[in-house]
Amino acid sequence: MAGVELLSDQGYRVDGRRASELRRVQCRLGVLGQADGSALLQLGNTRALAVVSGPHEIRGSKSKALHDRAVVNCQYSMATFSTAERKRRPHGDRKSIEMSLHLRQTFETAILTQLFPRSQIDIFVQILKSDGGNYCVCVNAATMALVDAGIPLQDYVCACSVGFVDETPLVDVCYAEEAAGGPVMAVALLPRSEQVAFLSLDSRLHEDHLSGVMKAATVACRDLHAVLSRIVKETLQEATAGE
Amino acid sequence: MRDNHASSFRVRQSPTISDTVQRIDQLNFSFQLFPAIASYLHHFRSCTLLGKVLGADLTHFLTPDCSVALHYLEVLELPQLHGVLFTHTAYQHVQHKSRRLYQRLRRLLNSPRSDCVLFANEFQLGAYVDRQPSEDLVAWQARSVYHAAVWYYNHLSKIIPVVMVTVDSAVVEKYGSATEGVYVVPFQAYLESFWPDVPEASEFLVSLHQALTAKEVESCRGSKREFAEHLPVDVLEAGIRAGLYIKGTLSMNKHKAHVEAFVRQPGLLSKDTDDVLVLGIKNRNRAIQGDVVAVELLPRTEWQGRSLTLGDVGRDDCPQEESHGEPMPTGRVVGIVQRNWRDYVAILPPPEEGPTQGRQAQRLLAVPWDFRIPKIRIATTQAAMLQDVRIVVRIDSWDSGSQYPNGHFVRALGKAGEIETEVAAILIEWGISVLPFSEAQLREMPTDSPTSPWALDPKEVARRRDLRLSHLIFSIDPQGCEDVDDALSIVQCDGLDSTIEMGVHIADVTKFVPPGGPTDLEALPPHTTSADRRFDMLPPVLSSNLCSLRSGEDRYAVSVLWQLDKETYEVKDVWFGRTVIRSTYKLSYETAQAVIDGGHIEIATEIPELSGTEDEQQARLGELRDVLNILTDVARAWLCRRTAKGGLQLEGSEVRVEFDGVPGTVSGLTPKKALEVHETVAECMIGANAWVAQHLCKSLLGCTLLRRHPSPRPELFGPLCNAAESQGFHIDISSNKALSDSLEKTKDHGEPLLSRILRMLATQAMSNALYCSSVSVPQHDLKHYGLALPLYTHFTSPIRRYADILVHRQLLAVLAAENGDFEDPEVMLSSTSLEEICQHLNERTRAAQKAQKDSVELFQCLFFRDVNPGIEESSTDHRVADALVFAIRANGVLVFVPRFALRGAIFLKDKEGRVARLMADGRCDFSHGSLIHKKHEIVSQPSDGQPFVLHLFDHVTVSFIALHTTWRQMAVPLHYIFHAIIAFLICSIFTTTWADLKYL
Repeated sequence: MAGVELLSDQGYRVDGRRASELRRVQCRLGVLGQADGSALLQLGNTRALAVVSGPHEIRGSKSKALHDRAVVNCQYSMATFSTAERKRRPHGDRKSIEMSLHLRQTFETAILTQLFPRSQIDIFVQILKSDGGNYCVCVNAATMALVDAGIPLQDYVCACSVGFVDETPLVDVCYAEEAAGGPVMAVALLPRSEQVAFLSLDSRLHEDHLSGVMKAATVACRDLHAVLSRIVKETLQEATAGE
Repeated sequence: MRDNHASSFRVRQSPTISDTVQRIDQLNFSFQLFPAIASYLHHFRSCTLLGKVLGADLTHFLTPDCSVALHYLEVLELPQLHGVLFTHTAYQHVQHKSRRLYQRLRRLLNSPRSDCVLFANEFQLGAYVDRQPSEDLVAWQARSVYHAAVWYYNHLSKIIPVVMVTVDSAVVEKYGSATEGVYVVPFQAYLESFWPDVPEASEFLVSLHQALTAKEVESCRGSKREFAEHLPVDVLEAGIRAGLYIKGTLSMNKHKAHVEAFVRQPGLLSKDTDDVLVLGIKNRNRAIQGDVVAVELLPRTEWQGRSLTLGDVGRDDCPQEESHGEPMPTGRVVGIVQRNWRDYVAILPPPEEGPTQGRQAQRLLAVPWDFRIPKIRIATTQAAMLQDVRIVVRIDSWDSGSQYPNGHFVRALGKAGEIETEVAAILIEWGISVLPFSEAQLREMPTDSPTSPWALDPKEVARRRDLRLSHLIFSIDPQGCEDVDDALSIVQCDGLDSTIEMGVHIADVTKFVPPGGPTDLEALPPHTTSADRRFDMLPPVLSSNLCSLRSGEDRYAVSVLWQLDKETYEVKDVWFGRTVIRSTYKLSYETAQAVIDGGHIEIATEIPELSGTEDEQQARLGELRDVLNILTDVARAWLCRRTAKGGLQLEGSEVRVEFDGVPGTVSGLTPKKALEVHETVAECMIGANAWVAQHLCKSLLGCTLLRRHPSPRPELFGPLCNAAESQGFHIDISSNKALSDSLEKTKDHGEPLLSRILRMLATQAMSNALYCSSVSVPQHDLKHYGLALPLYTHFTSPIRRYADILVHRQLLAVLAAENGDFEDPEVMLSSTSLEEICQHLNERTRAAQKAQKDSVELFQCLFFRDVNPGIEESSTDHRVADALVFAIRANGVLVFVPRFALRGAIFLKDKEGRVARLMADGRCDFSHGSLIHKKHEIVSQPSDGQPFVLHLFDHVTVSFIALHTTWRQMAVPLHYIFHAIIAFLICSIFTTTWADLKYL
């Protein structure tokens, strides 16, 4: 195979991480004043802005309303400047639609929707910088925005992608690793109960390696959970100290 | 313009140092950068993380900059240089510039012996420097390497100086005296001042430098194209997938290296039908033996057949008419998928023949030892010193504008013709590296010295079955053998069910060689023997002491014990396990045979273990004889049963080389004499191997290492059937049983050698036995064709073969599992890794066999050289021997010389197309005429003489002269043709042997 070596003999990945290391996580809550909840989350060089509004009345056609729970409406988009190649991405493109669907599925399981019958919760996520693991960053950002909005959740939803190179699972793959075309598994986990909210796998992975990859993903998600919950606590402490 | 912003962060986003640092703050999960670096140094041995510890006697670290790492990597590879610290910057530079060199660097860094380590400076906060705007790449790389060196020096508390070497004088000027303790010196000056006792390093540097400058000159000159350009990699890959091109390994025809080459597709077994013929240098398009290439088929009208003429190493491109076989797919090379260049042994031509005597007198064409390799153009100033010296060269490149590849001189091996040089040459040609055992390996070994003798561990003894008192154990090996890895025992049980217990005891090497340890890793390449020396796989403390089952000493063993029926010798029960044994007798084959043959008390002197009074000796000798007799009976019965199932008894032509003490000379060549006891011992070992293989496969603990011998391809039996037919025998090759039976029938023929030669031809038709993993091959292909066994493995020589060590581990794991003890599942390798190991073992075993064969040929040549001191003066003192014709070719015959177990070709047609003529005194010369080639005979019809006929299995008398040619590819000098009337050529290392021929 021509191309870069994703895992060197010394155990370094292209960006200098070890196989089980996550990228640096930065997150700010409440970045937009006019929204009910918002969060700006950056994982390495992938940055996403999530905005949550709701729960509120159903907008548009009332027929969409569900009598026993809230409707979760997700919209995913990528900024034109988010990738190396500048590209206009109208909302209708297939990838975005798919990603929106995935996000909706993920959060329908996590949000306690039955508390808000006949209402709607909107989650808008935009990728500002894309460097691999877009879905996972979106999920994490959306979780933080939901927390900021005060919408009751079963648990944090932490997502992490795991690649597989040279018999080794690589946690939190960056763009270079994603682009190499190996298997990439994206897992969204409710870390405390270890329930899987979402799981997707691109390209083929031998069954023998599945458990190893899943394990690496679980550990990574729990690590992320620790970071995210600490950030939430710190933000709350700052907020209460300021008052 | 719009993309500027976006792309700039894409570039920066990979190894951003800020990420690395803050990651430590935020997620400090597994950040081990600091201890990992420290571990490279001896002082920090406590935190060995990557397993590499630089020697305690290290005086400084050597840090090459990017261009040194790229261009002079081979100098840094020298084992004499210690403490080489590659920076990640240089590493990436090499990766970027050349994939071949990058692989080399990786191998170097991964090799457990080299003292080279990688410092990931670009992932290290303190060591990383950002590239400034408008700073050019080279300047940044130099700064980065220097900065890393400084950081490293400070990190090691300034204990050890760091030397950065470069070839750029500007760098020396800029950084030379910037920091105390970190020196920046030119590479040449560094080698001269720091390694004055390693002159080859600076010579090597000069040679590489010359090759580099020569290349630059070449590229400036821009000569006309000799070859078509290779297609780019992506086009090739697409073409191969689409079926436009065929991908395969190029192999040259040994006899027609200049004309004929074949491309063998991987995975296809049938050698003859699916090969693609590549004719001529132009079509071969710079591909070299062993390269993986892509070929394009030519139109069907241009297809040609393979040549059937007897080839001669010396004579190439004979313009005479040649006979060709059926037209076969013919193609031309369009691109090279993977180069498989290695080190080549070569020799420089005499100066007056130097073809490039124009502007650059020091650019020479080195002639490789292997005649399948093209001449290599090297640049050297030492041409005069290197006359008649075998040198090692490496190929650097082969441009389409150049007729020959460019290479560089690596080192000199020694004068051509000396044993040491020639043996070294053989080893290099077959890629066998013989290195002394490393310090890490020796540290791992148990000690056994007079002051602290090694002793059994009582705990270990308790875990094992103790056979020291209950069993009479003895070993039978060649005279003077030191690494005894197998011993035998026979115990007669006089119980109700009267049985015989026969045991094979194999040294328990795995006890001392833990998996994954340095010895284990280094043992992978197999042990090799040359006729006069041995290269051990294990350190001597194991191979000739603690694992050698010497008589009178307690040793750990792994035993196979069979309960045999007293009458039929059927196996009733078998036991495997770890034991403690003490061998009573260490016999040689000859003494053992003498004991069996009923030799009396005089043998006792040959067996030092038989001490005591005469009566005692007599009694003990009697006991030993009984045991040996039973053993022989059992082996006979087993062999008989195996032969009945189709086991083949094949004939290899092996000779023993005798030395008479004078270094560098051979005193005799004797065909190996087979005693019955050889067969007996071999049969016992075959039994042990087969039973172990069966036991391993019965258990379901994953995949097993087996040895399979595929059925031969019927088309290869042509020469055998043809030869047998000429004597009125029919050879049935439908199965191994049929083959064995029909070979057996030929024994009745009046010619005693017939059967032997037919068996030899049968051996040639056999495919090679291979190591394989039990799950990678269908069950019915696991069988061993030659031995007629359904399952076979290698278990009985763990001191000499790595496969046996693996099998020992697997057997012990299986036995442990049977006792409900799954403590060590690691040894059951996954199927892919076992498959890889098997591939590697097969390759290395093949190389070792070839090297061994070459070395035997070398000694044959030395022998004929030494017995013929006066070849220059006359042709009368040739050694003369009887030989038998065993195959007929278009321009000559192949003969076998039983006395020296030699095979060779006799040409009946010389270079000018003249044919052999029989003279009145029974000698031959060449004159004009024609040659008629039939199936079982060849007729030479000189225009002015009697025609004569040579039939298959005719006796001829041949004589040998060792022709002292120093380089292999040289054409046969004409003046020898006057001496030698009909040529008899041994395919040899450096000598060609001629013979004249007389009819009886």
